[in-house]
Amino acid sequence: MKFSNRKSNKLENISNMEASFTIFQALTEASRCLLCYNAPCSQSCPADTNPGIFIRKFRLKNTKGAIRTIKENNIFGGVCGVVCPTEKLCQEACSATKIDKPIEIGKLQRFLVEHGWETGFKPLERVPLRKEKVAVVGSGPAGLSCAAELAKAGFKVTVFEAREKVGGVLRYGVPEFRLSSEFLDREIEDVTNLGVIIKCNSRISSGGVDNLLKKGFYAIFIATGLLKAYKLNIPGFDLKNVMDANAFLETARSKNRYLITRLVKNNNVAVIGGGSVAMDVANTCKVLGAEKVYCICLESFAEIPAAKADLEMARDNFIIIKPQSQVTEILGNNNNVVGVKGTETNWIKPNLFIPSNAKKVPGTEFNLKVNAVVMAIGSGPDSGTVDLCSTIRYKKNYLIKIKKDGVSTFDKDIFAGGEIVRGPALVVEAVADGKKAAKKIIKRFS
Amino acid sequence: MAKLKDLSIEMFGVKFPTPVLLSSSPVSNTAEMIGRAFDSGFGGVAYKTLGFDKIKIIHPSPRMAKYNYGNKKLVGLQNVEQITDRPLKDNLQDIKYLKKHWPKHVVIASVMGFSEYEWSELAKMAEGAGSDMLELNFSCPHMTVEGSGMKVGQAFDLVEKFTAAVRKSVKIPILAKMTPNITDMTEPALYAKRGGADGITAINTVRGITAIGLDDYVPEPNVFGKGAVSGFSGPAVKPIGLRFISEMAQCSELKLPLVGCGGAETWIDAVEYLLCGASLVQITTGVIHYGHRIAEDICEGLSDFMTEKKYKNVKDIVGKALPHIHPTDAFNLSRQGVAEYDLDRCIGCGQCYIVCQDAGGQCIEWDDEKRRPIQDEERCLSCMICSFICPIDTPPMITFKEIKNKKPVIPPVSK
Repeated sequence: MKFSNRKSNKLENISNMEASFTIFQALTEASRCLLCYNAPCSQSCPADTNPGIFIRKFRLKNTKGAIRTIKENNIFGGVCGVVCPTEKLCQEACSATKIDKPIEIGKLQRFLVEHGWETGFKPLERVPLRKEKVAVVGSGPAGLSCAAELAKAGFKVTVFEAREKVGGVLRYGVPEFRLSSEFLDREIEDVTNLGVIIKCNSRISSGGVDNLLKKGFYAIFIATGLLKAYKLNIPGFDLKNVMDANAFLETARSKNRYLITRLVKNNNVAVIGGGSVAMDVANTCKVLGAEKVYCICLESFAEIPAAKADLEMARDNFIIIKPQSQVTEILGNNNNVVGVKGTETNWIKPNLFIPSNAKKVPGTEFNLKVNAVVMAIGSGPDSGTVDLCSTIRYKKNYLIKIKKDGVSTFDKDIFAGGEIVRGPALVVEAVADGKKAAKKIIKRFS
Repeated sequence: MAKLKDLSIEMFGVKFPTPVLLSSSPVSNTAEMIGRAFDSGFGGVAYKTLGFDKIKIIHPSPRMAKYNYGNKKLVGLQNVEQITDRPLKDNLQDIKYLKKHWPKHVVIASVMGFSEYEWSELAKMAEGAGSDMLELNFSCPHMTVEGSGMKVGQAFDLVEKFTAAVRKSVKIPILAKMTPNITDMTEPALYAKRGGADGITAINTVRGITAIGLDDYVPEPNVFGKGAVSGFSGPAVKPIGLRFISEMAQCSELKLPLVGCGGAETWIDAVEYLLCGASLVQITTGVIHYGHRIAEDICEGLSDFMTEKKYKNVKDIVGKALPHIHPTDAFNLSRQGVAEYDLDRCIGCGQCYIVCQDAGGQCIEWDDEKRRPIQDEERCLSCMICSFICPIDTPPMITFKEIKNKKPVIPPVSK
C-alpha cells in the first residue's frame, strides 16, 4: 500500500498526500540522528511516541522493533507523523538543530508505520478477552487511542460514533490532501484489528452515558470533541455564502463536495483565521479552483499558529496571507457575499493573542472583493453535550470538568479526554488523553 | 582544473605521469576503458591478469556484492572475479593499442601462469606487446587450482621459482603482487626478491564474507544458491593495506620499491600509502564506486598537499611516516593525558556520557537539567572514545590533552 505522489506545490489531485520517505531517504535521515541520551525529542512528545528509541532501533536495523515502539506507544503513529506540528514538539527539541537542522521525525515515523503496513508486519497482537466492557463515546484520536489501549489489555471495547464514518476530526476536519481516507482507514484498521467494535451512526444522546452504565458497561470514556465552530459576530455574518471551517472541510470531504466547488471555483474567498485549519480551508479552496484566496488573521507572521508545513503549502498555493489584520464587516448584496471590509491591527499588550487585545490601526482599512467567507477561528463544545451524562460536571463553556490527572471526571466510572476537556488541542494530545484514561481504567479493574 | 604540480614519479627508470593507477581488476579489463582512465588523470594501469586460453574463464553471475554501512554505500566490496575472460590475443592487441595511443602512460601487464613455462611465455608475450612492466599475480583469492593465484603466494618457494622463470625470460621490470591472507608478507616478498622481482604490489583482496542472505543462508554474491569465502576490498581494508606496505617498507632486507593497493579513494588515502612507503597507488573499488573522476580529486588534492607541505616531487613524500611507526612497546608510558571538553560548544546529545559509562572509564556524570556532561578528569582513561562519537568534530569539541605528572588511571574494584 502506497500513499504518495503529491508535490506540495501541485495540488492537482485532491486525494494525493505528500510522498513518504523512501527507505533510503529514511535511512539517511536516521543516520543524522545523534542518538541522544535521555532524548529531548522523546521528552517532547505528549503521547510518548518515543522517537529517541524508534530512530535508534531503525538505525540499528531493528526495523520491526522501531515500528513496534511507535505503534505500542501511539496507535495513531502514522497519522501523527503526518499531521503533527512536529516543529513545535519533538523536532523543536531535537539536538541536531544545534548542528544544522532537526531530524525529520514526523516523516520518519510515518515512513516506519507505512513500512509496517507494506510489509505486513503486525506489531500489536490481540489478547484473550476479559469480561469487562468499556464504552467510548466518539471515534476521534482520543476515543480510538483509549479504545486501542483498553483492547490491548483485553477489555471488550465498543466505540459509539455519531457520524456516518469513523475518525472524528481526522475524518471530517482534515483535508484529504493532507490525510487521505485510505491512510486513515488503514490506521483505524489497526484499532479494529485489536477487537475494538466501532458503531457508526450511533449518537449518544441526552442521558445516554447514564444508560450505557446501566447497560453493563463498567466504564465510559467521553471524547466527543468540539463540534461547534465559532463564528465572528460581525455585520454580514449571516449572509448566504459565509461558512464555518468545520462545515466547509466536512462538506469538501463528503459526496457533497460539489457544493464547495460551486462556492469557490473561479471566485475569491476570504478565510478568517491563521491556524492550521484556516490553512487547510485556504488550500482546499485553491485545490477546488478558487481565484484569490486570502487568509486574514490577527497574529503577525511570526505568531501565526499554523504548523510550518501547512503554512508552506499555503505559500506554495499562492494564498495571500494578511497578518495582523481583522475583518470588520462582510459586505452583501441580495444576501450574497460581495466583499469584506477590514483593517490592520496591533496588539495592545504583548503575548496575548486574543481578539480583545487587538486595536485597529487607523489609515490601514482595506476592501477585498470576495464571493465567500470561511471562518476558521476555532471550535467549541456543542451545548447538547452537557446532557450526555448526569453525574459529571461541566465548565461554563460546556467543556467537561476533570480532576488534576486530566482525564478523571467527578464520577469514578466516567473518564473524558481530548478537546471536550482541553478545548482546542493537537491530535497527539488527544492520543495522550486516550492512553492516560485507558491506563486509569485498566488500573481500576486490575 | 587548477594547474597541478608535477605529480610524476619514476620507478625502475619508467616515468609515471601521476602516481595513481588502475589496479588489475574489472576496471582494467579493456583498452577502451583504460584509455579513458588515462585521460582522467590515471598515470598507469595494472592490466587485468592475462592467462592462457586453454583454461576457459567464465565468470560467476553475479560476481560482486556490496557492503554498505547505514546509508553509506560500498564501504567494502566482495567479489568472486577471476583473471581475464578475454582471449589472450585480444588482450595483447589492447596493450599494443594503449602503448600506441598513450605512450607516456605506463602499462603494467599482470600475468598468471600454472607452470614455469606458462609464466615465462606470458611474460614474453606481454613484453612483446609493449608492456612497460609486469605484475605477477601471486594473490588472486579465487583460483582453485593448486599452484595458481593466492595458493602460490602462500607457498613461498613457488613465488621464487615462478619469479625466476619470468626474470629469465624478460628484460622489463617485474612486480610481484602479494596476498594479505598470510601473517607476514615480508617473507614471501623476500622470496620474490630472490627470484628477481624488482618491486612488490600489495595488497590483493582480503578473504572474507560480507553478508549472508537471511532467507536462504547463502553468502553474497549469491551465485544461484551458492556463495563462497572470497575477496573483500574497498575503504574497509585500507588499514590492512597500509600495514603490509609499511612492514615491507621497514624491512631492511627487502628494500624494494612498493606499489600500494587497498581501499584508496581520496587524495588523503593516496598520501597515506605514499607516507607508508608506496611509490604508486593502485585503485579498483574507488573506481567501481565513483568512476574515473576520482583521479581528478586525488591529483588535485595531492598537488595542494605538496604545495602546502613544500614538496617538489612525489618521491619525497614516500616513506615519510616510517620513522614514526614503532612497535607498541616503544611508547613512553610515563606521559598521560585526558579528553578535554570545550563545553561552550556542546549541544547536549549525551553520547559521550553513554559510551564513557558503557565502554570507557565511567568518568562522566550527566547533568540532566543543563544536558551537559560533567567530567572527572582524574578518572579519565584518555581512551578518547567520547571524541569519536561526539557530533561536534569540525573542529573537535573533545580533544586529547597531556596532563603533566598524571598517573595512569586504573579503575577501582567494584563495590
